[in-house]
Amino acid sequence: MSNDFYRISILPFAAIIIKICRAYTTSQEDFEDYYQEVCLQIWRSKDNFREQCSWSTWVYRIALNVCLTLVKKRKSKGHTYFSSDGLPDVVTIENRAFADEQLNQLYTAIRHLSEVDRALILLYLEEKSYGEIAEILGTNANNIGVRVNRIKERLKKIINGEFN
Amino acid sequence: MENSIETIWKEGFLHEKSLVVPRVNDLYNRKSIHLVDRLKRRLRLNLIMILVLAILFPVIGYFMQVIWQGVAASVLLLLTAWYNKRQIDRIKTLDQGATSFDYLRSFDRWLKDALSRSVKIARFSYSLYFLIAVSTAWSTWNEQTGGELSIAAGIIVAMATLVVFYFSDRIYRWDVRLMYGRVFRKLELTIAEMEKLKQG
Repeated sequence: MSNDFYRISILPFAAIIIKICRAYTTSQEDFEDYYQEVCLQIWRSKDNFREQCSWSTWVYRIALNVCLTLVKKRKSKGHTYFSSDGLPDVVTIENRAFADEQLNQLYTAIRHLSEVDRALILLYLEEKSYGEIAEILGTNANNIGVRVNRIKERLKKIINGEFN
Repeated sequence: MENSIETIWKEGFLHEKSLVVPRVNDLYNRKSIHLVDRLKRRLRLNLIMILVLAILFPVIGYFMQVIWQGVAASVLLLLTAWYNKRQIDRIKTLDQGATSFDYLRSFDRWLKDALSRSVKIARFSYSLYFLIAVSTAWSTWNEQTGGELSIAAGIIVAMATLVVFYFSDRIYRWDVRLMYGRVFRKLELTIAEMEKLKQG
């Protein structure tokens, strides 16, 4: 991967990739692995980009696909992030990856959601329209609003239940 | 919680300095280690399997009343295990190089070298295994019928041994592909991708 490709096509979207990767990992090591894998996959699939969607949509799609695949792979290999009560096995420093404490709490809550719900809420929080969310996730836009509301309710419950 | 999740998200990332981009030049370091480790594990597993067979063959031979054939197969297997162990030990002396790319390249060279040596050895060992198998079958048959080895049968066995000798390299490669094929392909793909990455 040339420095130019990384600087021009990936770096401006690094924040997106970081936000997504953080939602699917609980340690700094895993986060870096996921981030690198996403970058590599973007580079690998650059020739498949047909400009039917924006580059950022393309990046979102790849980042989510890579994260979902890696989570699935790790699950099949017996790696678990959460104990039976649904809480992270070890509350590590990495669970506080951000300076903003409320943001850390939100991320911890997001990690309690199913993988697909995580993807959905991340896109919603990134202010993607329901149409764009449906396009990125490859689903129907009709019930996305209802699902988003349900997820938001769940997140509130998780956050209030755990931290207040 | 006072703020909505939308506000937490927006304000949280507004002044967020923790969005530090990880380094990507280490992209393949862990991948390479993982790949080589996987292959080393398989090689060790193969070694253990050979040793187990080397122990089992004389025992089976004893019960089948073909003890010498069992011992011969066992000796052959032990020699194979000793040779394989020496090959595996050579991995430790490989040039780790400055990058994981260098390491993978030297590992790939070691693999190709080890395979080409093993093919030469397989020419003789496969023929010997075949002769031991024929001898076992002959002894068992002889035990039951009391027949004698005819010249025609001897010629057929000799020709079949030559055929095995001739095709042993293909049989060996097929055998190796069956056991390590996926890891080899992964190694080739990884090296090719790393080369491409370097070029941009």
